[in-house]
Amino acid sequence: MALADFFQKYPHDPKVWDEMHDADHVRPHYRNVCDFLSNIPVDELNRKEELARRLFMSQGITFTVYSSGEGIEKIFPFDIIPRIITAEEWRHVEQGISQRLRALNLFLKDVYHRQFILKDGIVPVDLIYSCPHFLREMQGVDVPYDIYIHIAGIDLIRDNDGTFYVLEDNLRTPSGVSYMIENREITKRIFPDLIPQNHVLPVTHYPSILLKNLMSLSPRRISAPNVVLLTPGIFNSAYFEHTTLARLMGIELVEGRDLVVENHRVFMKTTSGLQQVDVIYRRVDDDFLDPLVFNPDSTLGVSGLLSAYRKGNVAIVNAIGNGVADDKAVYVYVPQMIWYYLNEEPILKNVPTLHLSKPDEQKQVLANINKMVVKKTNESGGYGMLMGHVATEKEIEDYKKEILKDPRQFIAQPVINLSSAPCYIDGKMQPRRIDLRPFALCGPGGIEIVPGGLTRVALREGSLVVNSSQGGGSKDTWVINN
Amino acid sequence: MLSRVADSLYWMSRYMERADGILRMLKINHYASQDDPESFTWRPVLKIFSNLEDDAIADMERNGKAVLQYMVVDRENPNSVLNMATRSRENARSVQDNITKELWQALNEFYHVVRNPRLETSLQVDDPITVLDSLVRQCMLYYGVTDSTMFRGEGLCFINVGRYLERAIQSSDILNVRFSDLSHDLERPTDTTYWKYLLLSVSGYALYLKRYRSGFEARNLVDQVLFNFDFPRSVLYSLNQLHRYHGRLKDEQNGEGYAKVDFAIGKVRSRVQYSDVQTISLSGLSKFLDELNSDFNEIGKALNQAYFANS
Repeated sequence: MALADFFQKYPHDPKVWDEMHDADHVRPHYRNVCDFLSNIPVDELNRKEELARRLFMSQGITFTVYSSGEGIEKIFPFDIIPRIITAEEWRHVEQGISQRLRALNLFLKDVYHRQFILKDGIVPVDLIYSCPHFLREMQGVDVPYDIYIHIAGIDLIRDNDGTFYVLEDNLRTPSGVSYMIENREITKRIFPDLIPQNHVLPVTHYPSILLKNLMSLSPRRISAPNVVLLTPGIFNSAYFEHTTLARLMGIELVEGRDLVVENHRVFMKTTSGLQQVDVIYRRVDDDFLDPLVFNPDSTLGVSGLLSAYRKGNVAIVNAIGNGVADDKAVYVYVPQMIWYYLNEEPILKNVPTLHLSKPDEQKQVLANINKMVVKKTNESGGYGMLMGHVATEKEIEDYKKEILKDPRQFIAQPVINLSSAPCYIDGKMQPRRIDLRPFALCGPGGIEIVPGGLTRVALREGSLVVNSSQGGGSKDTWVINN
Repeated sequence: MLSRVADSLYWMSRYMERADGILRMLKINHYASQDDPESFTWRPVLKIFSNLEDDAIADMERNGKAVLQYMVVDRENPNSVLNMATRSRENARSVQDNITKELWQALNEFYHVVRNPRLETSLQVDDPITVLDSLVRQCMLYYGVTDSTMFRGEGLCFINVGRYLERAIQSSDILNVRFSDLSHDLERPTDTTYWKYLLLSVSGYALYLKRYRSGFEARNLVDQVLFNFDFPRSVLYSLNQLHRYHGRLKDEQNGEGYAKVDFAIGKVRSRVQYSDVQTISLSGLSKFLDELNSDFNEIGKALNQAYFANS
């Protein structure tokens, strides 16, 4: 049996934007791939799925779950059917993200210096000062080229008319880019020739752009600055990504214990003594970076790092204190920031968001809570979330109590019907909900976004939660040059 | 190179060499147990390669399947091949950016092969030699990939320093295992099939036949395993390689540490180089091997202080 039948039976939900199919037809940019897949027997597709699984396993593209004293290797679920974006859609996304990042970067510079935006009353002062990620330690600190956000992973979703919305700005240590790269490598293996036939734009140059940007930030003007990637260590679930990026850029992968600060300079401990470090691409959260300033129990960071940073002796990527710009309550004001700093109309829309600290909005949310998604302002990874339309009454009551304790911590959004894309599950083509996280890089030369990104999939039928910690998977993401 | 990275590469390599050594040891002893089921015992192997108490050894020493199970796949035994593979891989995992992708994949595959539940079953029901050989092949793959893909830099030096130190220790241990049965008496007549298997397991059988025409004698075997200049598993060869790879780490910034390690290696190397079977049989094989053992420990300590102390 070939897959053609399954495509004919592919269900269509009029309330959801499907990436492949409109009400009657396969969309033009999916046609090529659909024709190709229709001719493949199901057995062969199963073999390809198995091949993908083995490739992930043998290359150690896994994360380790530690239980009962023993590590169990898991792979991040991968769906073999690529998600396709047209060049036109991509241009829109690219322009929207770069506009947003320009504004957010100016906002960070402003909020840690003169604070015009607060004085002009565009963003409320108490909102900023009550944000736990607003770090007074960063006040008045000048960062190289005024760039705070070197790497951003902005999450986009599509509503039922196909419009892109920004769901979250991840401006601290966004992860997932190694899967963007590896997923593409796997597709090359399981569907040879399909990528060139479809004119898919490449993503493999991401590490070289990042390295170029990192080198350019070196405070010492030397030809070969020491750039390192700081990881929390092998127990971190994103450890695979840290090693991949370090290897692809040819930079040293260090842990906090490999570094030491002496006389406001950072050094790494090597077999031939101490060597000065110029640029740190850190994958450790602000709170754990320097036990002298932040969390004193942290063993992941380096004592004295912040003082070296403030003196300008080392560059840190992303800058410290970015959390104030991707706080979910501050998110509400990003469109105003774009108007304020750039005097441009925002290209990408925000999801309408209500903040529970405003009494009228709170009333509105509590009355309609079963049609809302309520989130904590500074949690990520799908934790601490209430999906009103599926929650039980008890869950809602408990959550309401939480909200009333500290309304600043909560926002609410209407349930957005994420778009769906075909996935190969249990030998059938089935629609599943997806999002999109493109990775944007800002350097002294401007903002660059490799065409593609990470498409996350909610693998459970009907689920709207795509986070990997909540049973999500991923897909290769193609931007095709049509 | 980061001290922590050097440390991890060194241990990655030592654990792999040890896994390889244990597998070969198990193989010859399995052969021997098939030839002489009456008097054969696994006691010497368990004594050297495990931390078991005497009682536990007594329970297991005549049960070949139990020994293989314990030494290859037992999760509780810190010295099982499974745990060696796991630790080697954990070390490699923390330095993936310093080894080639091919090397990482070789280690990763070895790890998945030893952990496969099917392996445990086939160790019990099928021919153990086939199983052990399949694991030895994984080790060979690791060696080949290391040699043919790794950049000739500091990293490879630390890998080889670990490998040859461990190999020197293993080879002297192998002699110790066997001769502890014979009270370290080189003149005592013994069963020759055991020597044959031992040589086969370290790929030294053909060399032995070419070199010694008088049949299997303990003293010739000692000569080959300790003193042969070109036999890749002899103690002398291992020490020469150790000296060679450590020599490449010479660095002006770490002169003091380098000199200490160099001294420790040079001392034991000259001791082995300027001994022969004649002198050992006078002073006693047991004493000679014991002294070697403590010299090896000295080298390990010196390496720690010179290169890994910062990690």
